[in-house]
Amino acid sequence: MKKKLLLPTLLLAALAATITVAGAADKVVIQYDCIPNYANWGGVTALYLKVAGVKVPPDDKGSSVAMAALEKEKEHPQADTAYYSGAIGFQAAGKGLHQPYKPKDWEVIPAGLKDPNGLWWTVHTSAIAFVVNTKALGGAPVPRSWADLLKPVYKGKIAYDDPTWGGTSFTLVYGVNELMGGSDKDFKPGLAYLKKLDANVSSYPRESIYNSVLRGEVPIWLNADGNGYKMKYVDNGPVEVVIPAEGSFTMPLVMGMVKGAPHPEETKPYLDWLLTKPAQAEFAKAYFRPILPSALPADVAARFLPESEYKRARALDLAKMAGAADALKKAWLDEIRGSR
Amino acid sequence: MRSGAAARPWAGALLALPLLLFLCGLVLWPMGRLAAAAFAGPGAPALRAVLAAGRYRTALGHSLLLSAAAALAAVALSLVPAWILARERFRGRDLLRTAISLPLTFSGVLVGFLMIVLLGRIGAVPKLLELLTGRPFLASLAYTPAGLFLAYLYFEVPRAVVTLESAFRRFPWELDAAARTLGAGPFARLTRVVLPLAAPALRSTLAITFSASMGSFGVALLLSRRFSVAPLEVYTELTGFLNDAVAGALCLVLAVMTLAVDRLLGGGRE
Repeated sequence: MKKKLLLPTLLLAALAATITVAGAADKVVIQYDCIPNYANWGGVTALYLKVAGVKVPPDDKGSSVAMAALEKEKEHPQADTAYYSGAIGFQAAGKGLHQPYKPKDWEVIPAGLKDPNGLWWTVHTSAIAFVVNTKALGGAPVPRSWADLLKPVYKGKIAYDDPTWGGTSFTLVYGVNELMGGSDKDFKPGLAYLKKLDANVSSYPRESIYNSVLRGEVPIWLNADGNGYKMKYVDNGPVEVVIPAEGSFTMPLVMGMVKGAPHPEETKPYLDWLLTKPAQAEFAKAYFRPILPSALPADVAARFLPESEYKRARALDLAKMAGAADALKKAWLDEIRGSR
Repeated sequence: MRSGAAARPWAGALLALPLLLFLCGLVLWPMGRLAAAAFAGPGAPALRAVLAAGRYRTALGHSLLLSAAAALAAVALSLVPAWILARERFRGRDLLRTAISLPLTFSGVLVGFLMIVLLGRIGAVPKLLELLTGRPFLASLAYTPAGLFLAYLYFEVPRAVVTLESAFRRFPWELDAAARTLGAGPFARLTRVVLPLAAPALRSTLAITFSASMGSFGVALLLSRRFSVAPLEVYTELTGFLNDAVAGALCLVLAVMTLAVDRLLGGGRE
C-alpha cells in the first residue's frame, strides 16, 4: 500500500514545486478592474509586459465589485492596485483600503483630481455620453437629449450597466439625479426619470457589453464617451457619440495602491509608468483623455466632439458621490431593477 | 471485499475519512458560517429582511417557481429520449448520447450568451422569423422570464436524460411482459405497472434538476433584466454592498428550500 502511494505522492510534490517555481519566475502586478476593452487596458498591459517584463493579468471586476473584493480581503490582500471610476475609488480610499503612494510626475495631476496624501489619483478622464450604433436603430433618429431617450421609438434599444456593478454607471445615475434637480440627499428626481427610462431599457448588464453594442444587439449604451470613440475609430463600427443636450458629467478614472499589496516592488514602478507619456498615449488610443495633456496625439484629439459640446459636461463632487453611493445604489435596486 | 471490510470495521471508517473531511470542510463549515451570518444580531434582522415582503422574497419565489417549472418540463421532455437511449440499439447511439450531454459541460455564462445570440434583440431566431413573416417575432425573448426558462431547460434536459437513462436501463421489463401475458392493455400497463415502477427514478430526476436550477447563477447574471432569482441577489448583496448578513440569510433560505423540496420528492431514494 505504502509503496503504491509513494510514486503519486512524489509526482504531486514535483508538480506543486514546478507550479511554485513557474509562478515565481513571472513578475506580476495584480490590478482589480483591468477590463481589456475599457480604456484600452488590454493595450496598456501588453505594452508594459513588453517594456518591463511584468505581467498585469486582465480582471473584469467593475469598480464596485473591485472595492467589495478589497474589503473582503482586507486581512489577506490579493491585489496590488485597483482602478475605479472616481467616486468609488474615493470611497475605497476612505474605507482605508489604500496605502499612500505618490507616483513620479505627481505634479502633472491637477489638484482636484488627486488625494493630497496620495491615497488615490486620476490616470485619465472621460465623460458620460450616449454611445449609439446608428445601424441598429431600425430607422429611429439618433437621440440627442435625455428627453429623447424616453420616446417610445427607443423601446428595448437602451442599456446602461447595473450601477451596483460598475462605477461608470454609478456616475451616470448620480449625475442624472443632479441634472434632474436632485442632490446627494434627494434621489427622487433622478429615480423618477430613470423609472420612465426603464420602459425603453433592454437590460442592466453586469459585464462589459462593448461587443454587443458593436454588433447591434444593444443600439444605445449610456456609458463613457471613450468607449464609443473606440468603437467608431478603432473597430470601425457605425457608431456615433452624443453628449446630451441637457448636459452630461465628466468622470475621473482613478487608481490607488492597495494597503498590504503583495507585490509592492513591482507595483510602484508600474504605477509610475502609467503616468508616463507612452502609457498615457496608450489610454488615449481608447479615447480616454490622458491626465498628461501632452500625451494626447493630435489625430486622436481631433476626433473628439468639439470642445463646445464638452462644455455641457460638468464635474461632479466626488466626496458627495462617495457619501451617497450605498444609499443611491440601494434606492436604484429597489426602485428600478427591483424584482418583479 | 465485503468480508474484508467486515473483518476490519476500522478500515471502512478510514476509507470514509476523506469524504468526512470534505463534508466538514466544504459543506458543514461554510454552511455554519452562513447560518451564523444570517442569524447575527438580536432577532436575526438579516433573516427577517429576507423573509419579509420585498426584493429578496420575490427573488426567492422566482427561484422556486422557475426551478420547479424547469425541472418538470425537463423531465417531461427527457422521457422519450432517455427511453430510446436505454432500450434501443442503433448506429450513432453513443454519438447521440454524447451530443445530448454536451451542454452539461457549458458554463452558465456561455449558455447565457447562446440565448442572446439565438433570442436576443437581433438574435438568429427573430431574424429568421422576420425573413419569413416580415416581423421579428420572439426578439429580445432572451431577457424575459421565458428566455431564462429556456436557458434553464438547455442544461436541465441533458441532466434529466442522463439520469433517467440509467434508471430505465435497470427497469424490470419482465414485469411489463408479465402484465401483458396476463392480458393488461397498454394503458393499464402504463398506469399500473410502468409508472409506479418508474416513479422513484422520476422523482429523483426531478430533485436533481430542481436543485441544479436553484443554484444556477451565470445564466441569470447575463439574461435577467428585472426578473431576479435568489443567487443573483446574493451576488448583488456581496458585490454591491458587501452585506454578508443578508447574503448569508439568502443562501440559507435557498438551501433550506432546496433541501425541503428534495426531501418531499424522496431525495433520490429508489
